Amino acid sequence: MAMAMDDTAHEQQMLVQWCMAAQVFTESEFRQAIQRTYCTEEEEDTEEIQPVIEQINSSMSAFSLELRSCMDQTSGIRNWALVNTNADTISTGATPYTASELVTLKTLVEGVFTEKMGNYSLSLHEALRMATKRNGTVAGTLTRAETESLIRKFCADGWLATDPDGGYVVLGARSIIELQSFFNVGFADYIRLCSLCKEMATSGIMCMECMEAVHPYCANRLASASGNQLTCPACNKHIEQPRKFGPGERGIPHIVESVAGSVRGDSVGLDEPATQSIKKLRIEDSSDDEE
Amino acid sequence: MDEESQVSERTATDLVRYALACHASGKPIKRENLKTHVLGNTPTRNTRPLLDRANELLSQNFGLRMVPLPSHEKTLTNNAKAQPAATKWVLQSTLPNDARQRLELAQTEDQQAILGFAATVLSLVFVSNMSVSVDQLVLYVRKLGPPQCIAAPADTREATSYASDAQMESAAREAIGYLTRQGYLDKVKLGASGGGEHSAETQATQATQATQLPTDDRHDEGMMYTWGPKARVEFQPLDMARFIAAATGQECTDEFIKTIGRAYGSNITASQ
Repeated sequence: MAMAMDDTAHEQQMLVQWCMAAQVFTESEFRQAIQRTYCTEEEEDTEEIQPVIEQINSSMSAFSLELRSCMDQTSGIRNWALVNTNADTISTGATPYTASELVTLKTLVEGVFTEKMGNYSLSLHEALRMATKRNGTVAGTLTRAETESLIRKFCADGWLATDPDGGYVVLGARSIIELQSFFNVGFADYIRLCSLCKEMATSGIMCMECMEAVHPYCANRLASASGNQLTCPACNKHIEQPRKFGPGERGIPHIVESVAGSVRGDSVGLDEPATQSIKKLRIEDSSDDEE
Repeated sequence: MDEESQVSERTATDLVRYALACHASGKPIKRENLKTHVLGNTPTRNTRPLLDRANELLSQNFGLRMVPLPSHEKTLTNNAKAQPAATKWVLQSTLPNDARQRLELAQTEDQQAILGFAATVLSLVFVSNMSVSVDQLVLYVRKLGPPQCIAAPADTREATSYASDAQMESAAREAIGYLTRQGYLDKVKLGASGGGEHSAETQATQATQATQLPTDDRHDEGMMYTWGPKARVEFQPLDMARFIAAATGQECTDEFIKTIGRAYGSNITASQ
């Protein structure tokens, strides 16, 4: 890559400012920004931007910032964001949301992530109901119109998203990129990882032999590579009738064990008290007799 | 690095993190919040060195710096000795103009519309010797047509034609109110000594009886709009002259700049 690596400080400042302004951006947009910054030809190979990423992360680590990414589970497009890695009072002290809005965001993010059928989505109606329901720790409720406006705001900021048909609320790219520690610590039992790419899977198919998940995009890649026959990358069994999960799907319920411990937050301030415990529950799928 | 230096460096780094978080939230960095979230029990005499070090780190790593937001008193007088200590800061890019243009920082359509609208309104105030009556500004904004994202919030935005005169008046006042709340405009009442002509000299002194007043039309009599703190940080006189040249399709020659400076009430130099 024909970069002017001897004059990187200025260009790196430009890139960092661009990342901060863009918030969440695709890898293609990132490459174009690099091209403009360093006035080079656009490179196609992912590996070529790795030195830029590593250099930025090296200088940003002192400020608890890091470039992280996640893959769009359907399209395969990689999304990036410069995220805060230290959820202390310094970063949460300047949250753009009011206390009430934070409670609503937390309620919705948790509601989506722990949706009992394992579809990681809420119908719009359910999301509105959940957000306007009186919360015992917060005085007052939001009206339906206020809640709709708030959900739109969360979607615009990348924390939530609506599926293409607009009927379901799902996690936005920013939540998946930035809230990893939040989910890992407090909701580990609800996490599914794609057995091919090892990234979080909130939609896809599940191999009912080994109960491992595969993204829709990764499943298509596997099928294309093996003559439209889908083989589970974890157990190598042929997946005859894939069981799908995601917005609008039948779903595969979570099985959650009792967990006690702290739930760490993130830059937007979703911290929980340290002694939060999650009740043991076992969700039965009344229509599934396979167990 | 001894322990005290390490603590200072950590505090300066935390200050940078807090400043960036405020910047991302679109909020100014307030002195009282700095004390609460970052400085804690740090002796006051150490605050300046910490701010200086934080600015160094911001400049080296982010191409940014903290600049004080002028207080409302500062917008109305150029007497530097009368300026109180800064209580709010915002982050400003230190990158040269050509670098910033190459950057093409991402902005939403609404952000672009608001910035363009703010620049246009501020240019009207700029060429009016930095003060415009309320009624005059409302008239300008009605003709200009405020962006819908200000005049009507997203969740109520519909295809409106502003056919009604009252609606247009209301939309214009709402847009001006928005710019005032954001700090781009200040609504002030001028003292008797400051009325009439607004020369460069009187501009510096006319504010002695000026006070920041609520932004509703009940207080319009004798009221003027001038640039607010945020405008004075984000827009420089020379940039404004260039904007006016571009907006009116003229070349930004030295003669043009001089002409604009006469309307502004002060010479505009290349260093501004």
